[in-house]
Amino acid sequence: MLRNIWAHRADYAYVLPAIAVMLIVIAYPIYYTVELSFYKTPPGLQLRDKTFIGFDNYTTILTSEVFWKVTWNTLIWTFGSTFISFVLGFATALALHRDFVGRGVLRAILIIPWVISAVAASYIWKWIYHSDFGIIGAVLVGLGLADRPPNFIDNVSTVLPSLIVVNIWREFPFAMIMMMAGLQTVPDQLLRAAKVDGANAWQRFWHVTFPHLRNVSVVTILLLAVANFNSFIIPWIMTGGGPSNASHIWITHIYELAFGRQRWGVASAYSVLLFLILMALGYFYVRALSGNERKEGRA
Amino acid sequence: MSTIAETGSRRQTRSSMRVDGWRWAGRIFLLLMLLYTAVPMIWMLITSIKSGFAATQFPPQWWPDEPTLASYRKLLDPQNSVGQDFLRFFWNSLFVSTATTILSVIVAVPAAYAFSRFTFPGRNFLFFAVLLRNMFPAVIFLVPLFILMRAIGLVNTHGSLILTYLTFGLPLAIWLLKGFYDNIPVQLEQAARIDGATRFQAFIMIVMPLSTPGIIATAIYSFIGAWNEYIYAYTFLSKNDQLTLPVGIQRFFSENTTDFPGLMAASFMMSVPVVVLFLVLQRYFVRALTEGAVKH
Repeated sequence: MLRNIWAHRADYAYVLPAIAVMLIVIAYPIYYTVELSFYKTPPGLQLRDKTFIGFDNYTTILTSEVFWKVTWNTLIWTFGSTFISFVLGFATALALHRDFVGRGVLRAILIIPWVISAVAASYIWKWIYHSDFGIIGAVLVGLGLADRPPNFIDNVSTVLPSLIVVNIWREFPFAMIMMMAGLQTVPDQLLRAAKVDGANAWQRFWHVTFPHLRNVSVVTILLLAVANFNSFIIPWIMTGGGPSNASHIWITHIYELAFGRQRWGVASAYSVLLFLILMALGYFYVRALSGNERKEGRA
Repeated sequence: MSTIAETGSRRQTRSSMRVDGWRWAGRIFLLLMLLYTAVPMIWMLITSIKSGFAATQFPPQWWPDEPTLASYRKLLDPQNSVGQDFLRFFWNSLFVSTATTILSVIVAVPAAYAFSRFTFPGRNFLFFAVLLRNMFPAVIFLVPLFILMRAIGLVNTHGSLILTYLTFGLPLAIWLLKGFYDNIPVQLEQAARIDGATRFQAFIMIVMPLSTPGIIATAIYSFIGAWNEYIYAYTFLSKNDQLTLPVGIQRFFSENTTDFPGLMAASFMMSVPVVVLFLVLQRYFVRALTEGAVKH
């Protein structure tokens, strides 16, 4: 083993810069977060004065009401955004698969929301949802559907769905790109053969196209789920988690605990829990990816 | 005979009608998606050419009575304080993003090449470790990184951002590039080696030029990622003259909450560089992104 490593010593030179940077900026922070999660920390970053308290931070979190509220929000946010983005992106990819005039332009326009900054997107939508001068409110009033413009983001029951709409706006293009690329790998002969055998459009989709896209779908959904679970900017800029925590998700909540209320220990314990959940998701991600690799190896 | 032909043609019409049904459904769906995508952006543009008074009317002016470029002029005028700030933020963003992009390519190219070509012990482990980085949110790293940056004296410098963005962009950059190297036949390098080139020469002379599309894609991806990044910049920088655009704009408009035309104009100008970059180079970008996930 050691001799094997030594024999390949020159190969490591290529990956060394990447690994070194990662170790500093990733491994050390992870270690430090785990350590802090067992300590009671004073406010301010004078962390030398911390005291060891075992699992107290974890029990504090798990017994707090806010935790369950925020967890529930995170679930709705993650599943809602991921599922709808994927379905919309997939459907758009299917509709764009056939060539027509203006297809390239249309595709480019549809991708733009994914490229622009989430900060810009948050401000654009905040203005669209504005409770006095927002365009959606004005349209609803104009059509006689509402007496006065509804207040989308200052309302406990509408705030989360409203933010999910913004998130989907930014994310469905990603699913679209992935699925468009996937669609190009579906063999035309198979589709034609199915047509000759009398399969209708739906049957061709369900029995030929869809099974072919299983792998790319899994990867896309996992990447979307991870990105959504980790999103921060849209809720942070648009509502800051309010009103009364109705749009706080895990990440915004952790940020507020750490940098807002300076409860570093509790925030670190939260991060460790988050980390564990992500490791579980990561396990599936690696499995989906290495499934791809194995297939490639066989081909 | 005639009955068979008849049934056949009837079946033909029915199935073509059904195909038409799907096609129409597709067109209507695309139209709706276009509206969903484009209306917010168009509304941003229309608002940005209104006066502050025109923007705060109910019902709204669908098209401003007196279109004006005043907001843009204000943001781009180096004479007044708003323009000075905006231009400085813009310059900071440009500097940080460009530096990140160059460093990412320099670090990612050899790493991706090694992951694609060599089979050294621990290769798979390292590769997945690199990919797993993508799974973790910025927030987990913020506190320790902040302390680390303070310890090495990088807080309130652009160096802290460049170092952080570098790692945060590397996993994807390596993954994208590896997809490209996987598709370059090893025989090309072997031929060069037989002709007397060293491994390094073969890499520089043969592989690098062939992977240019991949490098371009990686560069765009790093640039856009760094340009749009918010949370680290928000945490690491506190001096006004250091801020990058996303944080700068937020800082600025938390003080001028009602200047919607200005906010929309700033959002638009912040989006222009990345959208132009993307539109010009989109075929590299899209290809690279999907290379790893889709096997041809």
